[in-house]
Amino acid sequence: MSFLSPGFFLFFPLVTLVWFLLPGTARRLWLLCASWWFLLCAGPEHLFSLIAATTLTYCGAQLLDKAEGRRRKLALAALLTVLFGALFLVKYLAFALDLLERVLTTTGLAFSSPALDLLLPAGLSFYLFMAAGYLIDVYRRDRPAEESYLDLALFLSCFPYLLSGPIGRAGGLLPQFRRPAPFSWEQLRRGLLRFLWGAFKKLVIADRLGLLVSTVYAAPETFGRIQVVAAALAFSIQIYCDFSAYSDMALGCAQVMGLHLMENFHTPYFSRSIGEFWRRWHISLSSWFRDYLYIPLGGSRKGRRRKYLNLLIVFAVSGLWHGAALSFVVWGLLNGLYQVVGGVTQRSRTRLRRRLGLADDAPLTALLQVGITFLLSSAAWVFFKAGSFTHALDIFRAMVTGPWLTRPLSAWGLDRAEVVVAAVALILLLGVDLYTAFRGSPREKFRALPRPIRWVLALGLLAAVLLFGIYGTGYDPQDFIYFKF
Amino acid sequence: MRTSKWREPIFALLFLLLSVLLIGLLSLALRPVRTDYGAVWGPYLAEPRDSLDYLYLGSSYAYCDVDPVVLYDRTGLTGYVLAGPEQTLSQTYWYLREALKTQDPALVVLEGSALAFQQYQSYTQVNVGYMPAGLNQLGAIFTAAEPELRTGLLFPLYFYHGRWKELTPSEAAAALLPAGTDTLKGYTPVSGVFDQIADGPFPREGLPEDIYAENLSWLAKIAGLCAQKDIPLALVFHPTYSQLPADFRARAAADAACLDISFFDWTEAGADMGIVPTQHYYDPGHLNQEGASVFSAWLGDFLTEELDLVPRAQEPDNTAAWSQAVQNRRK
Repeated sequence: MSFLSPGFFLFFPLVTLVWFLLPGTARRLWLLCASWWFLLCAGPEHLFSLIAATTLTYCGAQLLDKAEGRRRKLALAALLTVLFGALFLVKYLAFALDLLERVLTTTGLAFSSPALDLLLPAGLSFYLFMAAGYLIDVYRRDRPAEESYLDLALFLSCFPYLLSGPIGRAGGLLPQFRRPAPFSWEQLRRGLLRFLWGAFKKLVIADRLGLLVSTVYAAPETFGRIQVVAAALAFSIQIYCDFSAYSDMALGCAQVMGLHLMENFHTPYFSRSIGEFWRRWHISLSSWFRDYLYIPLGGSRKGRRRKYLNLLIVFAVSGLWHGAALSFVVWGLLNGLYQVVGGVTQRSRTRLRRRLGLADDAPLTALLQVGITFLLSSAAWVFFKAGSFTHALDIFRAMVTGPWLTRPLSAWGLDRAEVVVAAVALILLLGVDLYTAFRGSPREKFRALPRPIRWVLALGLLAAVLLFGIYGTGYDPQDFIYFKF
Repeated sequence: MRTSKWREPIFALLFLLLSVLLIGLLSLALRPVRTDYGAVWGPYLAEPRDSLDYLYLGSSYAYCDVDPVVLYDRTGLTGYVLAGPEQTLSQTYWYLREALKTQDPALVVLEGSALAFQQYQSYTQVNVGYMPAGLNQLGAIFTAAEPELRTGLLFPLYFYHGRWKELTPSEAAAALLPAGTDTLKGYTPVSGVFDQIADGPFPREGLPEDIYAENLSWLAKIAGLCAQKDIPLALVFHPTYSQLPADFRARAAADAACLDISFFDWTEAGADMGIVPTQHYYDPGHLNQEGASVFSAWLGDFLTEELDLVPRAQEPDNTAAWSQAVQNRRK
């Protein structure tokens, strides 16, 4: 079940209603059952995987809590090995064997990797990271092991963030489950509006741009340079709208239920550097890597070279987290490399700016930096979208060779009316993001408006989603890009 | 100032109602207006209450072959063809339930080719989707429609929202404004003659036993509904060049008799009615406009002479409307 499947529009109101009607433990039990049922819709094997991970995490945390010294360290290592070993088995084994086959073949050794068709349990990458973070917190004595299996299971399973995050932390979520907020009309309004805005970004923008991107990426050599570049830029916006839409819907659902989840995006394309971009993009994952990988590796405390190495390691792992393919590793490494180059050239870039008379915080400087950051991230997204390293190279080749334009607008996968809708929707998105970046949450402004105006705007947004959304016969509501991670 | 605890729930309910209204209006505006080829519920519901002498149900054979205006011209009987393309008997059952809410016909005629249909045919979206919203449509959605179509049938924008690009203001207005009566009365005229008609008749295949049994169970429900309303039901096979096997028709006759339904098999009676295959078949299954006129005139005689159907008294306005329809058809 996804947020945009018809069943969810029955599931969510029912779950929320009962959630607020039940008292104490029954309430949490209800939410856990509902969340498990939510996952069960994808198949029993998905639920089995979640329950196994939950049980291991619960027992492991108890063990960690009691163990001391070297045994404690060994216990954590064993637990993380089992968790990430399971992830490796279902997500990366086929990729690793394929890589091994390629390496051995080039050295003249014959090895044929077996065709593995292992099921990747839905949401596995997300809840395993939550479980690992929780175990590390217990190991560090940042928090005690959770006594209640119910609460821990709910922390790992709660349906708004189960399939695609945000990757929550035990410290932020467990107290909310134990002392749930009472029903609030204000939270209901805000949550539903946020959900609707997410649906707008996903259905009206992301999936519309997706038609264009898929058309061009399927045969880049048949399109002109400008068209291929435009498709690459469009994918940057598509993936932002797709994933941030999912996060908005997750946060919106949780807000209706009185739960507050970690913000996952903060207008990332207004970042002035790739480093800043990663502090504003998929914040829950970036901060996870920062706290549980980058800092333990030494962070920036062990000199510049080590810092750059740590950055490259973190971003390579981040790339691998997104998918078992070389193109994802390259995408991650490229993002790390941008930051390394950025760090190395920082002084010379500052000198150059001063020679050009550009103050550090001048609007023109900021605009240039935002533009360059957007282009750099867009170039990296080409590897992400291409699916394979060689296809990504084909796309880059099509950007710099051949004619500038080859086909009419209608051959891009969008007709003129669709392009107009996409343009208007993008202007609206830009307006909202600009407001967010410079003046804070537009939802606060919205809340201050007179009720009739709020209603007209909300109904207008609903009508826009219903009319201009890409959905209906032939559309797969499961098709959020980050679902496959 | 103290605010009422009902203030927020009332506003929430009001907003919900406005949202539902908005969705309803958008759904109506974007769904193509249907004026022919069956499932024409708008004009049917605009017919004066209890004004129809007979109701003609079935598949495309019904709405292509039967012209109620010709029949009226011949006999004075008022009727309506409330059929749908490849309409299954399960859908017809829900049609009949809905249709009898506004009409009390003296006879229901059911064109029976659907006895040889699969559980689902190709036009569920049209047949069920255009039914008036209500319990009967819900019944049809959950018993007579493919499960994968239910989302779109419950939420028509799922099927039709992509029409925003082609929708004109006049089309939207026609969809949103209440429909008036039409002069077709559910009939759809088609022109032309099938090129290879001389090669016919063309035999159709029978049906697996379990599907036939399922169809028969829906026929029984239709018969039960008619009996409950005290309306005679006639099951008919039209004169056609796309013919069901003789043994299938014989079995249908026997089963209809068991259900106490009058059964008439006109499959091979076209020549007696004056139907000339090389002039009157649009395709092997359907009569063209000329063929429909011949058959409808014959049918009028049959209904009045064999089934003793007599025209009921009509309001002058309705008589004038039917007369006007006759004039239009003659033109």
